Amino acid sequence: MKVSLKWLQEYFDAPLPDATTLSDALTFHAFEIEEATRTMLDVKVLPNRSADCLCHRGIASELSAILDRPLKSDPLREDVGTYDVPTSLTVEIEDEKKCLRYMGAVIRDVKVRPSPPWLREALEAVGQRSINNIVDATNYVMLNIGQPLHAFDAGKLPQKDGAYAIMVRGAREDEQMTTLSNEEFTMPEGVLLITDAHTGAGIGIAGIKGGKAAEVTVATTDLIIESANFDGTSVRRATQALKLFTDASVRFQNRPSPELCAYGMRDVIALIKELAGGELVGVADAYPTHPKESAPVSASLAKVNSVLGPSFSKEEVEDVLKRLSLSYMIVNDTFTVTPPFERTDISIPEDLIEEVGRIIGYDKIPATELPPLSGTPDQARYRGIEKVKDHLVEQGFTEISTQSFAKKGDVVLANPLDKAKPALRTNLDENMKEAMVRAKYVAPVVLPPGVKPKLFEIGTVFTKDGEHMEIKTSEPAPDLPELKDAPDYSPAQYELGAYKPFSVYPFIVRDIAFWVPAGTDVGRTMSYIREQAGELLVRVDQFDRFEKGGKVSLAFRLVFESMERTLTDSEVNGIMERVSEALKKAGFEVR
Amino acid sequence: MTQEGRLHPITIAIREMADIFGRMGFGVVQGPEQETEHYNFDALNIPADHPSRDMWDTFWVKTKPGEERKVLRTHTSPMQIRWLEARGAPTRIIVPGKVFRNEATDATHEAQFYQLEGLAVDTNVTLAHLKGTLERFCKEYFGSDAKVRLRPSYFPFTEPSVEVDVWFAAQGKWLEVMGAGMVHPKVLENAGVDAKKYQGFAFGLGVERFAMIKYGIPDVRLFHSGDIRFNYAFDKKKV
Repeated sequence: MKVSLKWLQEYFDAPLPDATTLSDALTFHAFEIEEATRTMLDVKVLPNRSADCLCHRGIASELSAILDRPLKSDPLREDVGTYDVPTSLTVEIEDEKKCLRYMGAVIRDVKVRPSPPWLREALEAVGQRSINNIVDATNYVMLNIGQPLHAFDAGKLPQKDGAYAIMVRGAREDEQMTTLSNEEFTMPEGVLLITDAHTGAGIGIAGIKGGKAAEVTVATTDLIIESANFDGTSVRRATQALKLFTDASVRFQNRPSPELCAYGMRDVIALIKELAGGELVGVADAYPTHPKESAPVSASLAKVNSVLGPSFSKEEVEDVLKRLSLSYMIVNDTFTVTPPFERTDISIPEDLIEEVGRIIGYDKIPATELPPLSGTPDQARYRGIEKVKDHLVEQGFTEISTQSFAKKGDVVLANPLDKAKPALRTNLDENMKEAMVRAKYVAPVVLPPGVKPKLFEIGTVFTKDGEHMEIKTSEPAPDLPELKDAPDYSPAQYELGAYKPFSVYPFIVRDIAFWVPAGTDVGRTMSYIREQAGELLVRVDQFDRFEKGGKVSLAFRLVFESMERTLTDSEVNGIMERVSEALKKAGFEVR
Repeated sequence: MTQEGRLHPITIAIREMADIFGRMGFGVVQGPEQETEHYNFDALNIPADHPSRDMWDTFWVKTKPGEERKVLRTHTSPMQIRWLEARGAPTRIIVPGKVFRNEATDATHEAQFYQLEGLAVDTNVTLAHLKGTLERFCKEYFGSDAKVRLRPSYFPFTEPSVEVDVWFAAQGKWLEVMGAGMVHPKVLENAGVDAKKYQGFAFGLGVERFAMIKYGIPDVRLFHSGDIRFNYAFDKKKV
């Protein structure tokens, strides 16, 4: 959610601190910041706060609590007023579980025109495109307090007996609709639609996107404004089925309170009047089941401290509740909070405790070690597996780890990532075969001459009888211990040095043999070769030595590789030439 | 004499972690890689059709109509439920194991990787214990300069939930390394543990990520390619 600092400032009297300070305040007390500029913060609102914080008012309230600065005013704490019920609009809801509330306002004689600069700039500051004053008003109010809104051109809807009729119903089989962005959709059955009840035509996909049929244009004079609440599950299924993800669908999926509709309606009517004139005829409000008032949530001071660990005082906890503008009572040492309608995330004591912890700040939580336990913890099965690995390593086997996906298998995925490997492996054979081919090829880079690679893998395989752990070795491993619990075995521990990258390009191997006088230092000879061969030499091993007539023959294997490119034979021949010449100069006779 | 082979760096990392947590009283347990929807999601307070499910890109297993829906586990957290169901509280365990995410791979994302879950439940385990445990762990794993910082977060199976950052003095920066929190009372109850009596913390760290930070490994895809050059890309010393 992108928030504009200028927009946030509207909520406070004194100037807000700079973007970095605000960014830190939110990061350590509320939400991560994905991107911050001097004028905008992109706030990663957490799923449990998406019902109330995907808007400027929500972020402003968070900042108010974190920075301990009261809001100038809070639109959600101000009266929503009442409206005349219009005779010119009827609203019907087919399934009250899917549409929890539908408010429809009729406004006449508006003037559609470009938005004033302040509004265009406000929307553009958070990455939205300005369309016209009516559409912009609905978007502005959504981004300000979180209620998705929609404006229909009433002039494009028929009236019977002087009344428009809106019906919220499930889509019929194969029902078609074109959205505002001119995309045509065939509705999966049951997707909730906003329809014109007189003709049965769809004019919007509920909670997702408006339809082309009643689009507001410069020619529009009469409006029906929708401020509604659609069930999160229903919107979520529809948005996934249609692969149509919008600002509205994100908000409804997170189940904002249907109470919010009235606040959205109040604000959008006021803004449209200001920007486009016109006359409010009335507001229809289909609100079949009012949600229960938020249940009070209690936590004692002792409980707060027993979950968090420190010893916060009653005053410190009370201060948090005040800063969050929560209404509370304190009886003895127990805090009872009645959450405001928009805070759908506060329902159990732990939710309140989280508020205390994060607003005071987790840096105030001490780091305390767990008390020691008597007895030794049970690591027997794990140690048993590691014992087998250690045995294999001692025998010269190197452990590999490979992918669990396979071309064929008994367990098949419904949504594989790699369509060529849609199943889970039934054994480790195939991957071992492939790894062995590669290991044989790369052996000169990692193993001394004459040592052939031996590999093993211990991994889960999936068969008709379920999953189990399998051990696979590239050749028979003698005296392999049984895979069983080994409570007292201590797995070998290794310290590794920093990672040394290896090349993705092919390497080249060359051998060189030469006579040296008896008593020549082999180590120094090897260093000499390294020095002469230069940085493309990645490995050198002595692989032969014999004496004859007082002289010693040494043979070395050299491996060349570049991190940047494929080496050519002639280039490596050149290097070998250099090495040979240098050895000759040193008085050695190259064979 | 036979030349010794090489363990995979993931094994080396998990051994070091198991050793550190072992000294803090944690047992090591394993769980199935193929999980039911119940253990992977529902019992962890992640209901179907809830936006919080979007936090995990999931591989679904083809099942017959009427059969319980199955997934490749998206995290090691299902073992919180399985273990508490089987053994009850109090308990301290870590759960290392392979997990799966159905997402495009790049240098920091793999469709399969190793996670290490931690769970400590008792009558008096607190968020301060979580911080203390992770601080000691990070100091022992990364070096004594390491410091731990908690930030607010959200996971359906913990309340409060936190992100854990570790301070690396050498690089002079904080890195986000894992998610954690106090086990949600619903999760305890779903596993048959009396949430009025017991409470605890849980955390889940990415083993590859820890190894990448510790050894300077640039690409997560190096781990499970079956290429032995990766095993040999480090100097090793037995301790």
